[in-house]
Amino acid sequence: MVPPRPALSFDHLGFVIAVLIGIALFAAPFATYRATRIASGEARLVIEALPFSMAAALALVALGVALGAVLARDPLGRLGSAVIGLAVLLPSLGLSAGYLTPADNNFARVSPSLGFWLLSLSFSLLAVDALARMRLGPFGRLAALAVGASALALLLLSGIWDDLSILKEYDTRADSFWREARQHLLLAFGSLAAACLFGIPLGVASHRLRTLRTAVMQSLSIVQTVPSIALFGLLMAPLGAVAASVPLAAALGIRGIGAAPAFFALFLYALLPIVANTVAGLNQVPAAVVDAARGMGMSARQRLLGVEMPLALPVILAGIRIVLVQNLGLATVAALIGGGGFGAFVFQGIGQTAIDLVLLGALPTVALSFGASVVLDALVDLSKGTTPA
Amino acid sequence: MIEIDRLTKRYGATLVVEDVSFNVEEGTLTVVVGTSGAGKSTLLRMINRLVEPSAGRVLIDGEDTRTIPEDELRHRIGYVIQGYGLFPHRNVADNIATVPRLLRWDRKRIAQRVEELLDLFQLDPAEFAHKFPHELSGGQQQRVGVARALAARPALLLMDEPFGALDAVIRSKAQDDLIAIQRRLGATIVLVTHDMNEAFHLGDRIAVMDQARLLQYATPAELLMRPADDFVERLVGTVERPFRLLSLTPVREALEAGHAEGEPIAASESLHDALSRLLWTGRKALPVADSSGAIIGRVSVDKILQHGRPLP
Ligand SMILES: Nc1ncnc2c1ncn2[C@@H]1O[C@H](COP(=O)(O)OP(=O)(O)O)[C@@H](O)[C@H]1O
Ligand SMILES: [Mg+2]
Repeated sequence: MVPPRPALSFDHLGFVIAVLIGIALFAAPFATYRATRIASGEARLVIEALPFSMAAALALVALGVALGAVLARDPLGRLGSAVIGLAVLLPSLGLSAGYLTPADNNFARVSPSLGFWLLSLSFSLLAVDALARMRLGPFGRLAALAVGASALALLLLSGIWDDLSILKEYDTRADSFWREARQHLLLAFGSLAAACLFGIPLGVASHRLRTLRTAVMQSLSIVQTVPSIALFGLLMAPLGAVAASVPLAAALGIRGIGAAPAFFALFLYALLPIVANTVAGLNQVPAAVVDAARGMGMSARQRLLGVEMPLALPVILAGIRIVLVQNLGLATVAALIGGGGFGAFVFQGIGQTAIDLVLLGALPTVALSFGASVVLDALVDLSKGTTPA
Repeated sequence: MIEIDRLTKRYGATLVVEDVSFNVEEGTLTVVVGTSGAGKSTLLRMINRLVEPSAGRVLIDGEDTRTIPEDELRHRIGYVIQGYGLFPHRNVADNIATVPRLLRWDRKRIAQRVEELLDLFQLDPAEFAHKFPHELSGGQQQRVGVARALAARPALLLMDEPFGALDAVIRSKAQDDLIAIQRRLGATIVLVTHDMNEAFHLGDRIAVMDQARLLQYATPAELLMRPADDFVERLVGTVERPFRLLSLTPVREALEAGHAEGEPIAASESLHDALSRLLWTGRKALPVADSSGAIIGRVSVDKILQHGRPLP
């Protein structure tokens, strides 16, 4: 018989989380105050960054979460305490911004600092660990993602964070933010779609023809080793030449700098994972299954669409997942050659040493990558569906 | 009738199947037996043109298979392989429906046929139709594989080591089931195996292959009594020979008048089984019953032993 598990016991990850929470509360600044957006910052501890009652409440809740993380076993309880922690922490950052900003001062900036980041990291870690221990199915994970995204949207729409520096940066650039967002998504998803349209048939052909496979894999592997900046640079010259000599291309927006070379570079990077995973996916279809399909008189097309592709799908989707997460990150670099996207804010911010502007570009990118990987992981699981793992 | 006419397959300079000819009568089960690498699978795969012959031809009811489009030919020939190759992403019903769907049968007819086959193979449709292959035992997968091959009522069923993945107990049950289904449907079957016991157990006729060539094509009894050469004789197994012969002979062949004590044995059982019972019980004779259970005589050890050697 399995001995009954105690409801409370010592948890190692929980211990690390508790230590982080302790440091965040007592030894690290919660927020940074700056007189202007590029002035140097002044650190504010939790007790300085919030009205006393709020600071005390946040500290109590955080200590409670720490205790729960160390002692509680039940994943649902751990998830619950992490959620309560986040529910108190996230709005209090907004309150802190309002509290620290002098009335009628439009130049002062308040941004989250190490303590806040540590607290949100600890709570998220606890939540993610609890979710992992609950072994949610694909739909459960999608639902958790939807809840998280809705909560974030609610916080942003409620206005509670409006006094934060990053949202002030957003406020002055709302138009360009959404333009760059669209551009970012267009680059990442567009190049992925192009890579699929081109790469999956290429993968199928490479699977059939051994000679083609070697040539394709080798050239794509070489592309993959070129650093992204260099690849963007390399593509500027030929595309510039195309634009100069073919008026139609220029009219379509193909130029040496801008979105075209960025799109093309992302496309090239995306090809290897797509082609390689298509080939690998088709290779792992059991030979007996293909032989039986042929023996029953399925035509090459019926076999490919009805048997081989469905069985290769989980591996191909895993390739698409790699590419999408990679593209969402790499698209940031596109801004360097005038391709736009969230990278525009990152590089502008670096140029102006305005860290908030950097975050305005970086945080949405991180959030998108995280969301994309959760969604595609779920799709990979769903596509495995009925076949044994 | 299936006529295999001087079939030859060459890969480069190596002959894999060399000038093989034999005929398979309608409604019989022919076993192609031989050691691994003898060319059995290649021979079988030339019948449904998964392998194109280098020379020779195959006639099905007089029709040259080369005149039939490949896929169409294969719709008419069932094919079962070792490991079965069930589609892991389709459930049992969909697996079985594969060829009828390719032939565009209407849905109702397909559903009826699937249910009929599941019943025939003792798989409860309510329980099994919606299961996926990985949820089935080896024996159940095997039955689904054969059901799938029979779905469109093929003129011929090709089976390549169909019991190779089963353990001994389930295998002998699966072999008995195959014989029963073959008799019931009157199916024409060509089955490949490397297992001589299986060949003797299943085959109406046996084709012995070695090193690309057909050494002998004969009934099991002929193979035992008049092996074509030393190789066949050795393959048949000199030590096993008398027992194989007894396995092939029904009790009624050794029936004699008279009385015996003990539980009766059916006249349709083999002399091998009768001898086994006699040895175990220490008796000299057993009563013999006909299919209705009436005692029709007896079978004795002495008489059985006479059947365990070739007739003079
Ligand atoms: N496609 C092929 N190319 C070259 N040699 C082959 C091919 N297929 C089979 N062979 C060779 O032909 C011989 C007979 O193979 P096979 O028909 O599978 O034998 P069996 O089924 O009796 O074990 C083997 O030596 C095998 O290596
Ligand atoms: Mg073989």
